[in-house]
Amino acid sequence: MHFGHAVAAALFAVAASAPAIEVDVIVRDSGGNPAGDAVISVRGTTGTGTGTPSVAQTHVIDQRNETFVPYVEVFRPGDSVVFRNSDRTRHHVYSFAPAKSFEFVIPPGNSSPPVVLDRDGEIAVGCNIHDRMITHLYVSDAPWVAKSDAQGHATFADLPAGHYQMRAWHPQLRPGKQQPDRAVDVGDGTTTVTFELPLLPDPRPDAGDREHTRY
Amino acid sequence: MSFRLRLALLFVATLVAVQVFTAALVYSVARRALIAEGERQLGVGAAAVARQLDDISTRVADNVQILSLDFALRTAIAQNDQDTVLSALRNHGRRIGAERMLLIGLDGVIRSDTTSAAKGASFPFPDLADAALDHPAAAVVAMGGKAYWMVVVPVYAPKAIALIAAGIPVDDALLARLQRLSALPNTLELVTDSGGGHWVGIAHGDGAAAIAPRLGNPGLPLQPTLVDADSREYVVLATRLKESERSAPVAAVLGYSLDDALRPYRTVAIAWASLVALGLFVGLVGALLIARGVARPIEKLAAAAHRIASGDYAAAATANKYDEVGQLASALAGMTFAIAEREERIRYQAEHDAVTALPNRQAAETTIQHTLASRPSAGALLMIGLARLPEIIQTMGHSISDRLMSDAATRLRPFAARGIVARATDTQFALWLDGAGKADAIGVAFRVLDVLGVPYQESDLTIDTEPAIGIALYPVHGDEASALLRRAEIALIAALGAEDPVAVYDTATDPHRPERLTLMTDLREALDRDQLRLHYQPKLRLADERIDGVEALVRWNHAQRGPVSPDTFIPLAERTGNIRRLTRWALATAIAQAHDWEARGHALRIAVNLSARDLDDSDLPMRIADLLSLHRVAPRNIVLELTESAVMGEPETAIQVLRRLADLGVDLAIDDFGVGQSSFAYLRRLPVREIKIDRFFTQKLGEDVGDRTVVRSIVELGHRLGYRVTAEGVETRAAFEFLREVGCDHAQGYYIAKALEPVTLEAMLARGGGMEHFGARA
Repeated sequence: MHFGHAVAAALFAVAASAPAIEVDVIVRDSGGNPAGDAVISVRGTTGTGTGTPSVAQTHVIDQRNETFVPYVEVFRPGDSVVFRNSDRTRHHVYSFAPAKSFEFVIPPGNSSPPVVLDRDGEIAVGCNIHDRMITHLYVSDAPWVAKSDAQGHATFADLPAGHYQMRAWHPQLRPGKQQPDRAVDVGDGTTTVTFELPLLPDPRPDAGDREHTRY
Repeated sequence: MSFRLRLALLFVATLVAVQVFTAALVYSVARRALIAEGERQLGVGAAAVARQLDDISTRVADNVQILSLDFALRTAIAQNDQDTVLSALRNHGRRIGAERMLLIGLDGVIRSDTTSAAKGASFPFPDLADAALDHPAAAVVAMGGKAYWMVVVPVYAPKAIALIAAGIPVDDALLARLQRLSALPNTLELVTDSGGGHWVGIAHGDGAAAIAPRLGNPGLPLQPTLVDADSREYVVLATRLKESERSAPVAAVLGYSLDDALRPYRTVAIAWASLVALGLFVGLVGALLIARGVARPIEKLAAAAHRIASGDYAAAATANKYDEVGQLASALAGMTFAIAEREERIRYQAEHDAVTALPNRQAAETTIQHTLASRPSAGALLMIGLARLPEIIQTMGHSISDRLMSDAATRLRPFAARGIVARATDTQFALWLDGAGKADAIGVAFRVLDVLGVPYQESDLTIDTEPAIGIALYPVHGDEASALLRRAEIALIAALGAEDPVAVYDTATDPHRPERLTLMTDLREALDRDQLRLHYQPKLRLADERIDGVEALVRWNHAQRGPVSPDTFIPLAERTGNIRRLTRWALATAIAQAHDWEARGHALRIAVNLSARDLDDSDLPMRIADLLSLHRVAPRNIVLELTESAVMGEPETAIQVLRRLADLGVDLAIDDFGVGQSSFAYLRRLPVREIKIDRFFTQKLGEDVGDRTVVRSIVELGHRLGYRVTAEGVETRAAFEFLREVGCDHAQGYYIAKALEPVTLEAMLARGGGMEHFGARA
């Protein structure tokens, strides 16, 4: 399920006037463990590279085994999302997020109608029937966006040299602990940026944290 | 305190002491054990309280968490529907028993509050809010003097969008329930630090006392501690509760009441104390009973001993017991009896004469004195003497005299009916007659004489006792028994010497009156100061009626008393040994007078009386010879007169002295001749030249034929034997004429002249000195 970054990399592999430089981002939680599913968004401060505008896409968020798949999905403004119910139970998908709120009751095997996410922002989606089901739709208009893999790595392979603002987000980021944007100068060679994020426990049932199984 | 009582008290005291000591020991041990038990229970209880509060906390948090998942609530929160949110919070708060529900933003600002308008303020326990994102956060906090469970949970929609805080009161009821459900120790309290380590209670369980105020300076008793609360003892232990760092510390204080723990022992203690008290009571009562049982008879015995000591031998205390006291009582009774018997015997011996078994003199005196104490109107004491008894003792010994006295006592005993019969001396009996006057006493005396007059007879022996009786009368002769006895004895002495064997005491003749003693002192003084005078009674020679002699008679004119009769002081002087000095004085005076008269031509023979006591004086002849030669007086001019009895007293000595006197040439005369016991046969042995016929015969010579015959015979016989004969007491002419007729040599008496002073006598002699001078008088 962590293959998204490759797609994103492909999406954002825009031709730049300057030679592309690879930026490696490592995300860890407070305990030093690799943090997957972190979304790193990068904006240039020099106005160079704004990325390539793309056509709106429709992302499918599957619901299988009472779990939203994927856990984190990155959207561009104007993209749509469709919730597909692959379970034998009904799911009551909802969002109260300011960016987009909605509510669908999806019978088994059905899908929701597409929802256009026209504003950037973070949209937490849950199931009212199954408390532990959650997914995050991260709508960002940043030119470069990448999601960390299970090892906490996110790679920006083709950033042109220049000055950037880099932001790290994670669904379990402790409220009120939003990291300030990081200024990153991209020059020669590989640049490694490390984020250490204060994270809440993974709310998902199979995330391995048994303490939360009762939720 | 008696020995037994002391012993019993010692036992009782020991019992009590042991019991008290044991009780104290048991109490101390039990108390220590209970404290240890309390500490153990508190340790367990504290852990249990913490655990149970945790459990409750978890449950409450669960409840709140469930509430937070309510979709409608989440919707309202997400949509910021204030009113709905508030009402929903109230509703859910009631469900879980929360007093206060808060909605807190993730930024820590209170967005809704069910109780007060704290909206907009910061949540006071941000640490709880922070922790709530990781896991449900709960803590006991103190708010407004109350304890609350503050449970904070996030609201997921689906991610955390806010926090809900529920304030659930931890109140007295909850603590009480907690105690009941978990068998916690007696007292459970929640306390909070009100500042400066001063812990105040904010919730109480079932316990009666508030321990919190008693927690002193040491603060929270995190180790088991003994605390006094409302005069009850507790073992207390505190345990800190899960708390918010922003809240004042809250702790649970558990108390283990020692008093409650000791309560089951109290009945045991009461039973114990009752047993001790009962034992004490029984012991004391027993001791008292024993003491009384012992002491009473002993006190009685002591009282009896005191009575015995004071002479009361009435039956001693009797004890019907066969114990030691009983033995003592019977021993005491036996002793009393023996003492009484012995004393009776001693007293009898002391008071009675062994021979006659009559009371002795002392006893009689005591008894009479006792009788006199009641002041009877009259009474008489008869002293009965047996005149011949000394003679009988000398001739026949004491045994027969004892038998004789015993016989006499037997004869006298009937008179005891009138009073008392006692043996006064060896030879005398005393008879006291109650209420007897003089005549009565004399009558009784003669009856006594009749009784005793019958001679004592023993085998072939017949003894005449010659009793005589002296009588003293009460009260005229004395109002004391001793005086009566003495005077009766004096009267007896008089009676023994007299013809009449009964004599009543006569004060005048009592030689033992005390004044007699002073009289003798006075007499000696009178002799020293030459206050005595000699008067001379003329003796008329009947042949020529010339006065040729005088009898010198002592006259004493006492300075205070006036004239004292010779009859008074001469016998007294004889008795007291003063007669010799008197005689010497009389001889000296008379011989001096003889010299004087001789020198002036008066031819007068002077007769001087000698006493029987003078005849014991072997110096007397020498002294008279000296006086005669001193005054150059011819011995023939001095006549010494002696009574018959004086000569009879000590015949041999008297005869020797008389012979020596006669050898001097002095004439000797027998005075009072005819009434004594002398005989001519006896007189013949004496160098006597003259006899003087006693006045007993001459006073009635005028008319009594018998007396005339006696006088005539004496004169005739005296002449025949060669004696001059003088008649004394011539008071009548008839007597005078008769004496001249029968040829009596001299006459002396009032008819001729009374005793005269020398001057008067000389005057009479100067006038002629013959009978013619008396003619007128006759």
